[in-house]
Amino acid sequence: MGKIEDKFKRLKEIHRKAFIVYLTFGFPSVSATSKILLALNNSPVDIIEIGLPFSDPLADGPILQEASSVALKKGADTDKFFSLVKGLKNRIKIPLIVMTYYNPVLRFGLNRFLAKAKDAGLGGVMVVDLPLEESAPYVRQARRLDLDTVFFITSQTPKDRIKKIIKSSRGFTYYISITGVTGPRKLPLEKIGLHLSAIRRMNKAAVCVGFGIYKKSQVKSLMAVSDGVVVGSSIVKFVKDNHKKRNFTGDLNRFLKGLYV
Amino acid sequence: MKTPDSKGYFGEFGGKFIPETLTRCLKELESSFNFLKKDKSFNKELSFYLKEYAHRPTSLYFAKNLSKRVNLKVYLKREDLLHTGAHKINNTLGQALLARYMHKKRVIAETGAGQHGVATATVAALFGFQCDVYMGKVDIERQSMNVFRMQILGSKVIPVISGSQTLKDACSEAIRDWVANVENTYYLLGSVVGPHPYPLIVRYFQTVIGKEVKRQIRDKERRLPDYLVACVGGGSNAIGLFHPFFDDKKVKFIGVEAAGYGLNNKNAASLIKGKTGVLHGAKSLILQDKYGQISEAHSVAAGLDYPGVGPEHAFYKVTKRAEYVAVTDKEAIQGFKLLSKTEGIIPALESSHAVAYLKKLGRRAPGSIVVLCLSGRGDKDLDIVKAWEK
Repeated sequence: MGKIEDKFKRLKEIHRKAFIVYLTFGFPSVSATSKILLALNNSPVDIIEIGLPFSDPLADGPILQEASSVALKKGADTDKFFSLVKGLKNRIKIPLIVMTYYNPVLRFGLNRFLAKAKDAGLGGVMVVDLPLEESAPYVRQARRLDLDTVFFITSQTPKDRIKKIIKSSRGFTYYISITGVTGPRKLPLEKIGLHLSAIRRMNKAAVCVGFGIYKKSQVKSLMAVSDGVVVGSSIVKFVKDNHKKRNFTGDLNRFLKGLYV
Repeated sequence: MKTPDSKGYFGEFGGKFIPETLTRCLKELESSFNFLKKDKSFNKELSFYLKEYAHRPTSLYFAKNLSKRVNLKVYLKREDLLHTGAHKINNTLGQALLARYMHKKRVIAETGAGQHGVATATVAALFGFQCDVYMGKVDIERQSMNVFRMQILGSKVIPVISGSQTLKDACSEAIRDWVANVENTYYLLGSVVGPHPYPLIVRYFQTVIGKEVKRQIRDKERRLPDYLVACVGGGSNAIGLFHPFFDDKKVKFIGVEAAGYGLNNKNAASLIKGKTGVLHGAKSLILQDKYGQISEAHSVAAGLDYPGVGPEHAFYKVTKRAEYVAVTDKEAIQGFKLLSKTEGIIPALESSHAVAYLKKLGRRAPGSIVVLCLSGRGDKDLDIVKAWEK
């Protein structure tokens, strides 16, 4: 069983939903990422999605675009990413998923990328622009290594395709709340809830929801209709606005608690 | 071999590498296109607009003075004479009719030199679409006349300030808009790039160039040409010219890329210097670093200033069906002047790259019959050339 899958199993046993946060690796700097990851040990976070930056992030809004661009300027490359995660392997208690785009994976070498991910202790992988049709070699290799693979569904995805996507997913399936790019916004909570319930009636696997979520009321309402909630841009924005402050890690944990607990 | 295959591949290149949100609309686009291309009334309407509105067929002009200078027999396919001044209108007319069939109310586009933006704004005015065009800030500054043309035509030009602020970033931003507004918006892509079925759709509408050339050169020369020459950025005018000759193995294809400051400096020669990668939804040859981060391209011609290239060109390159060469900014400016002075035709800086290569070709294969796609006219580039003089 993969680390993410295992996490959901344990959460289910205690009837809890997953609180998932997203961070951009290398933002605002490589050393800051390391500090933030360790600080999250004292937070209510269940899973960390860590973004390996790409120069042309098509699915991201302005906040994560800027974070990626800053990270790349600071030299946040794939080798540094794996070496940082591997170095913290025994000190981070929260399972990690790497989130990225396909080109960095392809250029690094698919099998080499997955082997390094495994070696670094990552629990799973998600590749935003690698659709089901192109994913067979990736899923096969990830299974061999016991890495979880997270795929995406949206309100536009037809029923039969949802089934296939859930089948290729392991750990959880990521439900994109809105048609659009990442970034805080008002969400049609009721519509999302109805669609998610329909999906979860058809399938037993864990489905988490992300994109646009930035406040406690959204987290609360979406937790009720899913297996977990992902908060990304608003956390990266918090990091951007506060990382220079003296008590930054403490403030970050208070911010996260304010979103969830 | 029929390309692309059902998954959108040209050999190892192409495909659909897209966020899940776009899956459904690309399927809709594909089925609408497959239906329409066989539909008689659609093709009749398209032919009508190409002829009466865009002014097709364009002439295949024997450039006598230029021929003497480069020691070749050069025919120019005069796409520069089309309405809006470039080949881009062939594609925007076709896709606008497609968008209308799909009941979309709004079209969006990316543009580099502004030629595709102007051609999109034009069809938006003609067919009554709301139209937003994404354009890099750098390009807005260097192609200001085209920006004004788009605005006059009733479109909004949205400046893109991310990344290199050129065509690559305009394309990314247009895709982001599309992801968010997929229900009512049609993304009118301007080149043979992007996820399947775009490379196929744009090729379909641009092959009118090569089909006409085939007929015209037979009338004039009683045989097919030895060489077809075209500039390649994304590669739509080149594919439009080359593709109808794909099975005529004796006809050699030469694609001319932008070497910018030089092949070992900043350039836009994706086919010569690129590595296999995925950008804007397709696998192709891409300028990138060893970690797969996309490089900033450079060319004096905004329309060639793109770090990727259409997957069909990557396929032609690895299968050696076409040869790809590159000329620098400086050589392109020389080409610009050469055609202006010898024939009284001011070419776009993009097309000037193809013109600039003729001297080399004349040394390699003197006396050959060459068809060069003069993809656009140079009015938009006068300020750039003027600045270059200083």
